[in-house]
Amino acid sequence: MLIGTAAQGTHDGPAEAGSGQEDRAAARVAELEERFGDPTGTAGALTYARLLEADEAGELPEAGERLLDELALNADFVPAAHGGRLERIDTLVRVMRQVFRRDIALGLGYGVTSFMAGVNVWSSGSEAQQRRLAALLLAGGKVSVAYHELAHGNDFVRNEFEARPGASGGYVLHGAKQVINNADRAAAWVLFSRTDPGPGSRSHSVLFVERDGIDRDTYRVLPRYDAVGVRGCHLSGLDFDGCPVPASSLVGEQGRGVELALRAFQITRSAVPGMALGAADTSLRTVVRFALGRRLYRRSVMDIPHARATLGNAFLDLLTCDSLSLAATRAVHLLPEETSVYAAATKYLVPKTLTDAMNDLSIVLGARFYVREGEFGIFQKHVRDLPVLSLGHAGSAACQATIIPQLPRLARRAWFRDAPAPDALFRLRGDLPGIPFDRLTLASGRDGLSARLVAAIDELPSGTPAQRSVHGTALRLMDELRQVQEESLALAPQDRTALASPAGFALADRYAVLLAAASVVGVWQQAAAAGDDPFLAAPEWAAAALHRLSARLGHRPADLPGGCEEAVHAEVLRRFHERRSYDLYNTPLAG
Amino acid sequence: MSVPVTGHTTESLTTWLAERFALYLSRSPAEIDPSVPLAEYGLDSVAALSLCGDIEEDFDLVLEPTAAWDYPTVAALAGHLMAEFEAAASGAA
Repeated sequence: MLIGTAAQGTHDGPAEAGSGQEDRAAARVAELEERFGDPTGTAGALTYARLLEADEAGELPEAGERLLDELALNADFVPAAHGGRLERIDTLVRVMRQVFRRDIALGLGYGVTSFMAGVNVWSSGSEAQQRRLAALLLAGGKVSVAYHELAHGNDFVRNEFEARPGASGGYVLHGAKQVINNADRAAAWVLFSRTDPGPGSRSHSVLFVERDGIDRDTYRVLPRYDAVGVRGCHLSGLDFDGCPVPASSLVGEQGRGVELALRAFQITRSAVPGMALGAADTSLRTVVRFALGRRLYRRSVMDIPHARATLGNAFLDLLTCDSLSLAATRAVHLLPEETSVYAAATKYLVPKTLTDAMNDLSIVLGARFYVREGEFGIFQKHVRDLPVLSLGHAGSAACQATIIPQLPRLARRAWFRDAPAPDALFRLRGDLPGIPFDRLTLASGRDGLSARLVAAIDELPSGTPAQRSVHGTALRLMDELRQVQEESLALAPQDRTALASPAGFALADRYAVLLAAASVVGVWQQAAAAGDDPFLAAPEWAAAALHRLSARLGHRPADLPGGCEEAVHAEVLRRFHERRSYDLYNTPLAG
Repeated sequence: MSVPVTGHTTESLTTWLAERFALYLSRSPAEIDPSVPLAEYGLDSVAALSLCGDIEEDFDLVLEPTAAWDYPTVAALAGHLMAEFEAAASGAA
């Protein structure tokens, strides 16, 4: 078991000496924000006005894409060893969050697709494939990834798109892949393909196919889909009709495609939800602006208790989601054997929580929620775009289905037995070792993250009312883990499959909430130890965030002590006025 | 890793596996033909992963999570399990 002793004492503080990882990350985030400029202004490629115009036209913002080209954003998806900037998954989330603050469609359509495609090659591709992919991306090219076929949804083992082994050693592609981002303009595609007609999980392989290398008469790009959200994204499909590709297209081993994809998902499912948090940040900021400016009943909307509470709760949801996202992305580096469940929990819980928070915020915004342009127009765009995060890539139910079969094993072996995750898992700005692609496992049976919650019961201070509140709620959440353990042990075998009963899905939901709570506790403990961010170091936000998670689980937690909601509200206002991000990083923003 | 003390046979393992998959698939064990790939009965890739947990629980034997992918029928899995038991026994001897 990894214990964080080696890392202790070296990772505290905002800017760490040594490796320079934090300096590079902070500088990159600041560079993007500076070039993006004030989103509420009139000049610049990525103002809300320009983004809304592009969305109305159903296009990605052209000037915005050019700006990202100039910033060489693709380099952020290429490992440093191949000439890029990719060192850490949590840093990539931070960088991409800046893009998602402006436009989810741009974040997905410019970048995330290439990142998702790339992970397959970085984790399992040959040296030559990795060099080639790096060259394509660093030259500004896009790479698409095609896992799904509409008829089979997330049940992609049933996929029918075929790569038949050809006479001369390569493969011949037959059939269609649908809803592929950038299918029409990508320089290369990563194709999840059936290479064996037999049933089961060893009949698929991943191919890396360059557009330039293949016969144009043997495939066509299918028409674009018209979607409710991310309207600028180039969502189309590919239809192959006997297209030969060389043997060197195969990524990893033939027949290992399902395993390869599930490993890649552990990285992408950990990362993408936290990127989208940027859109929820902008939405909160937009509604705060509205609430401070609008006067009703002879006072500002911000003075109405319901509105005030809604804004505070949305901020808490963002902090909670960021805590889980942080733990999951850093687990890729620190606890790769355990990442399978954390990634699935993140991909399940974060988009759902952010979507719910946006819906609550829309009530405060009232009628303006429906207005498509002007000062508050970006809100409705984000509300339409965000649900794509719960649909694309891995549906919420598919993520729960990844968790459910692992619950009995975790219940038997891990919970209340494993050592807690290392402190480094929760340090926002702490250095990390490289990405150990080869250590990601499909199912682990270990869980140091929930063990952090259990261990905290004996560690947490109880001097102030807010500290006692954290401790009391953590105790109640530990009881919940005990109940989840009992129910997981009692889970009938037929309820451990993708066709599990609703009770199995409810267990996965409760477990995901507990992992989020453990992440909040871990982040608060480390922030308190470091002390460089007074708000995060104080217990009020943690008390309020845990209170909210406990209520979500159906508990009836005792009222929060005085001062907690006030501290959260004051921070909502401070960050608005000082233009700071509504996440763990408290990042300076251009507007 | 502890070693199973009871003598497993291919027959006893085949029976155990057929009963287990019957539960996963909500069928009767008699319906599971040991030579037919389990995916043909509708077993999904994720449920196949949970098998290793069940084997661990009942036999105290740690398997690769993908064992049911590489040995996709009851007969193949029973043979693999026998080989693993023998390896574990000789490793401990």
